[in-house]
Amino acid sequence: MLKKRLIPKFLLRDGRLVKYTRFFDNERIAGNPVTTAKVYNDYGVDELIVLDIVPSEQSRGRVVEIIERMSEEIFMPFTVGGGVGTLEDVNRLLRAGADKVSVNSEAVRRPEFVREAARTFGDQCITVSIDYKKMGERHASVYIDGGREHVALDPVEWALRCEDFHCGEILLGSIDRDGTMEGYDLDMIHEAARRLSVPLIVSGGCGSLQHAIDALEAGASAVAISSMFLFTDHSPIKLRSHLASRGLDVRTSASSRN
Amino acid sequence: MSEVAIVDYGINNVRSVRNAVDYCGFNPVVTHDAAAIADASHVILPGVGAFGDAMSNIRARGIDEILERHVREKGKPFLAICLGMQLLARTSEEHADGNAPYRGLGWFDADILRLQPNDPRLKIPHMGWNIVTRERDHAVLANIRDSNLAFYFVHSFAMHCNNQSDIVGWADYGQPVTAIVAKDNIVATQFHPEKSQDSGIELVGNFLRWNP
Repeated sequence: MLKKRLIPKFLLRDGRLVKYTRFFDNERIAGNPVTTAKVYNDYGVDELIVLDIVPSEQSRGRVVEIIERMSEEIFMPFTVGGGVGTLEDVNRLLRAGADKVSVNSEAVRRPEFVREAARTFGDQCITVSIDYKKMGERHASVYIDGGREHVALDPVEWALRCEDFHCGEILLGSIDRDGTMEGYDLDMIHEAARRLSVPLIVSGGCGSLQHAIDALEAGASAVAISSMFLFTDHSPIKLRSHLASRGLDVRTSASSRN
Repeated sequence: MSEVAIVDYGINNVRSVRNAVDYCGFNPVVTHDAAAIADASHVILPGVGAFGDAMSNIRARGIDEILERHVREKGKPFLAICLGMQLLARTSEEHADGNAPYRGLGWFDADILRLQPNDPRLKIPHMGWNIVTRERDHAVLANIRDSNLAFYFVHSFAMHCNNQSDIVGWADYGQPVTAIVAKDNIVATQFHPEKSQDSGIELVGNFLRWNP
């Protein structure tokens, strides 16, 4: 049966690895993405997600170059996104070495794009990335354009529509928890995992080994993690052994030494 | 040093396969040229895309005849990956839509059928890391421990073998999924070794050092 996945998430700004809190505050430069990816590869992570958070013509070229360099030495699936709005964008990233391409704002603006991209490149190639904020206790709302533009969509309802458009998986990210390391939005994960049939990758808030367990037990297929791996001593090796010891079905690999 | 031919039949992305061969210390050449394939020490048939299109491209370029001669007759070591493995079957029902199934190369007495997991919660495609159970030993699995036999799969169709002795390994996805088949100088994987980290690279390296 399929394994639960541990996925470092890289945010790129002008080709540099960066990290914020709640999308905009507290910018930190977190190193060279290719070097960091190699370290994670040695740690035996299952996939990588790479998102260009301020896409421009220039940054697109840098992202392609970074993915090409990563794919020379790192042999695992890559999901790449940020500013993807045309079939040519998808094609360019797949050719550079991406296995899946993540679509966010353009999916909201033009939902038919998800269907077109899935039909052209295969459902498994298209991940829809959804960022949301809580609006009071009971409601949440989708944001696009890197958290800048509010749209009147419930994240789970929107995810279900994307599933109808044949996306291969959903990357669901809480803006409120991004970079806080205070734990995932478990209520949302429960709800989304219960209703979705495609795999659910969750993002935003992981700061401890227990947080990752909580998210996987709440139904996530995969946990996306950035701050915890970048800024604490919890490495993917440590997380993987801990998850395995707690009975979660994760991959063991030669490099993770467990 | 002789080269490793990665057969180019017009599919989008062979970059990771080429990079994996290079990483293992061998010289990849992406080609559909008969002389280059004849000169190569090993041949790899990668695969992404749809069965029907792939077979038409292979026939249009005469690759079927080149492979028949150099792999089947002369015994050059040969690895087929994902759709490449499926092309070795007799037929595939992929996108046949009720018409006669597509004809493959027919190197294995096997047919390609849509995955039908017995649990409705299991999605198609079968995508992600799954464990492969070793049915028998094979040179490409040398030095890979059973606990590390996890590989990355992305597919909606799978091979059903009539000859059980062709099966080297299988995965469980609500049904047994043929994961590795082999006979003589031919080996094929349903998963992507070039995306399966250490175990995948080990498998590619084992193949490139294999002299059946």
